[in-house]
Amino acid sequence: MKENLELSVIIPITEKNRQYNVEELHYLYKKNVERTKKTYEFIYVLDGNFPEEFQVLQDLKKKGECLKILKLAKWFGESIALSAGFENSDGKLILTLPAYPQIDEEEIPKIINAVNGHDMIIARRWPRMDGFINKVQNQAFHRLVKITTGTNFNDLGSGVRIFRRQVGEEVQIYGDQHRFFPLLAKRYGFKVAEINVRQSPKDAFSRVYSFGIYLRRMLDLLTVFFLIKFTKKPLRFFGLSGVTVFLIGAFLSFYLFIQRMFFHVPLADRPIILLALLLIVLGIQIFAIGLIGEIIIFTHARELKEYTIEQVVN
Amino acid sequence: MPSNNKVDISVIIPLFNEEKSVTPLIKAVFKAVNTLQKPFEVLLVDDGSEDQTFAIAKSLAQTHRNLRVIKFRKNYGQTPAMVAGIEHAKGNILITMDGDLQNDPADIPNFIRKINEGFDIVVGWRIKRQDKLISRKIPSQIANWLIGKVTGVPIKDNGCSLKAYRREVIQNVPLYSEMHRFIPAMGSIMGAKIAELKVSHHARKFGYSKYGLSRIYKVLLDLLTVKTIISFSSKPMVIFGTLAFIFALISLLTILVGAIQVLATATASVVVLVGTSMLSGILSFFLLFSGILCELIFRTGTVKIDRFSQITAFTDFKSTGNK
Repeated sequence: MKENLELSVIIPITEKNRQYNVEELHYLYKKNVERTKKTYEFIYVLDGNFPEEFQVLQDLKKKGECLKILKLAKWFGESIALSAGFENSDGKLILTLPAYPQIDEEEIPKIINAVNGHDMIIARRWPRMDGFINKVQNQAFHRLVKITTGTNFNDLGSGVRIFRRQVGEEVQIYGDQHRFFPLLAKRYGFKVAEINVRQSPKDAFSRVYSFGIYLRRMLDLLTVFFLIKFTKKPLRFFGLSGVTVFLIGAFLSFYLFIQRMFFHVPLADRPIILLALLLIVLGIQIFAIGLIGEIIIFTHARELKEYTIEQVVN
Repeated sequence: MPSNNKVDISVIIPLFNEEKSVTPLIKAVFKAVNTLQKPFEVLLVDDGSEDQTFAIAKSLAQTHRNLRVIKFRKNYGQTPAMVAGIEHAKGNILITMDGDLQNDPADIPNFIRKINEGFDIVVGWRIKRQDKLISRKIPSQIANWLIGKVTGVPIKDNGCSLKAYRREVIQNVPLYSEMHRFIPAMGSIMGAKIAELKVSHHARKFGYSKYGLSRIYKVLLDLLTVKTIISFSSKPMVIFGTLAFIFALISLLTILVGAIQVLATATASVVVLVGTSMLSGILSFFLLFSGILCELIFRTGTVKIDRFSQITAFTDFKSTGNK
C-alpha cells in the first residue's frame, strides 16, 4: 500500500467506444493530472469483456505508465465498476473520469484544486453545447430530482467527480445509483459543490435512449426518494396511506350497505361493491407491508447508524 | 470499544448551537458529579452545530481529561445524538441531559442514588416547568397524557431529557427516528423497573429552544408505531394468524351462502357473495404469509425482545448484591 498517494484516478470502461481510443485519452488525462503536481495513480476498470482496450492498457503498462487494470468477470454496471475501482485505490482523493471525453481535459487541474474546503466536487458541464432534445431531457430530469429530493444539482450525469476517500467509505451506493452518489453524499452531511467546466465538443452530440433506460432512471429516482424520506419510518408512510385506502373502502361499503338495507337498492348489478371491498383489502395489505418494513428497521436499529461522526475528541 | 480505564458514570449531553451554554454547563456537571467520588466521563455530542460549540467543547476537552466530544457531520436530531452518546459511553450508569442549562446538573447524584436502589430507568419530572405555556407546556401535556394512555405507562414527563439508565437496559432498547421519548414506555412494557424523580427546571438563559414536543402529529404516529411494534413483537404469528383465520372464515361463509342460494333459486345472482369470498380468501393468505415473514425477521434481527426481561432480572440481582 502506498501511504502517501494523493490522487487516484478511476476510469470505468463500461461500453464499447466508438470514436476514442484509450491510449490517446490516457495521455490527455495524464498530462492534465500531472499539472497539479500531485502524486497520482490511474485505475482502469474494465466492466466485462473488452479485449482491445485490455490489450492497449497492458501495452501502456509495459511502457512504464503508472496504472492498474481491473477486469470484472462480467458486465456489472457503472456503479459496481466504480466501487471496485475505489476499493483498489490508495489515494486520499478520488477522481473519476469517464472513458470518453465529457469535459475539456484542460479543466482537470481546476477541478482538482476546487476540492479544497469541500468533500466532493462535481464538474458541471456549462454552458451546454448539446442539441435541443438533450437540453430538455436534462432539465426535466434535474427538475424532477429537485422536486422529489429537495436538492439542487444541475449535472448528475457528469462522470467527472472528485471526492475525499472518506466519502467513498461512508456512502453506500448500489444498483444504478452512481448517478445519485452526490445526492447521497450530501445527505450524509458531506460538503458537495458543483463547479462549471467547459464541455468537450466531442460530448455535445444528441443522445436519445431506449424507453427501458428512462424507465430505469425513474425507478432509481423513486428508490432514492424512498431511501431519503422513509428509511427510518416506513410505517409513517405505509400506515397512513393504508389507513386512508381502508377508510375509503369502509365508508363506501357502509354507504352501499345502508342503501341495500334501508332503501332496497339491489347490490347484485353494482360493480362498485367490488371496488369497495378491494379498497379494504388493499388498505390492510399496505398497512401490513408498512408494518413488516417497520419491524425490519426495529430489529436492525442497532446496526443501522442514523448519523455520521466527523470527529471524536479524547 | 476501548475501555482502558474503568468508568462508572457516563453523562451524555447532546448539543446543538449552544456556544454560550457549554462552559457553564461543563463546570456545573463536573462539580455535581465530582461529589460522588466515582470515576466518570462526560460525553458531549455536537449535533452539527453551526456556531462555536465544537471549538469551545474541544478546547475544554484539552483541560478535562474525562471529557469526550463527538462531532456529527451534520444536524441529525436529538435521538441520533443520544444514540451516538450511548454507543460511545463506557460507564455502567448512563445519564442523559439537555445542553441548554434548563436541567440542573445538581440533580444527577439523586439519579445515581435511585439507580443504586435497584431501578433500571429513572425519569426526570419537571414540576415547575419554565417554558412558554401555549407553545410548549400544553402540547407536551397532551402528548404525555396520550403516551401514558396508549402505552399504559403513566409517566408524567416524557419530554424531560434528564434521565438515568442502567447500561444493559438502554443498550438493548432499539432507538431510531425520534424514539427517545418512548424509552421509558418501551422499557416498562418490556419489564424494566422505572422510577420518577422530581427535578428543578430553569428558564432558558441563552439561545432559543431547538428541540421540542411541539409536532404532535409526529409523536402520534411514532406512538402508534411503537404500540403496534410492541404488541406485535412478541407474537406476530398469533396476531396475523388470527386475522387470517377470520378472513378465511368470512370467505368460506360467503361462498357457502352463495352456493345455497344458487341451489335454492336457479336465477339468483351471487356476484357480490362470490366476490367477497374471493377477496377475503386472498387477504387471508396474504396475512398468513405476512405473519410468517414477520416471524422470520424477528428471528434474524439483532434486537431480541425476549432478551430484555432477562437482562433486567440480571441487573436486579446485581444491584441487590451491591447494597
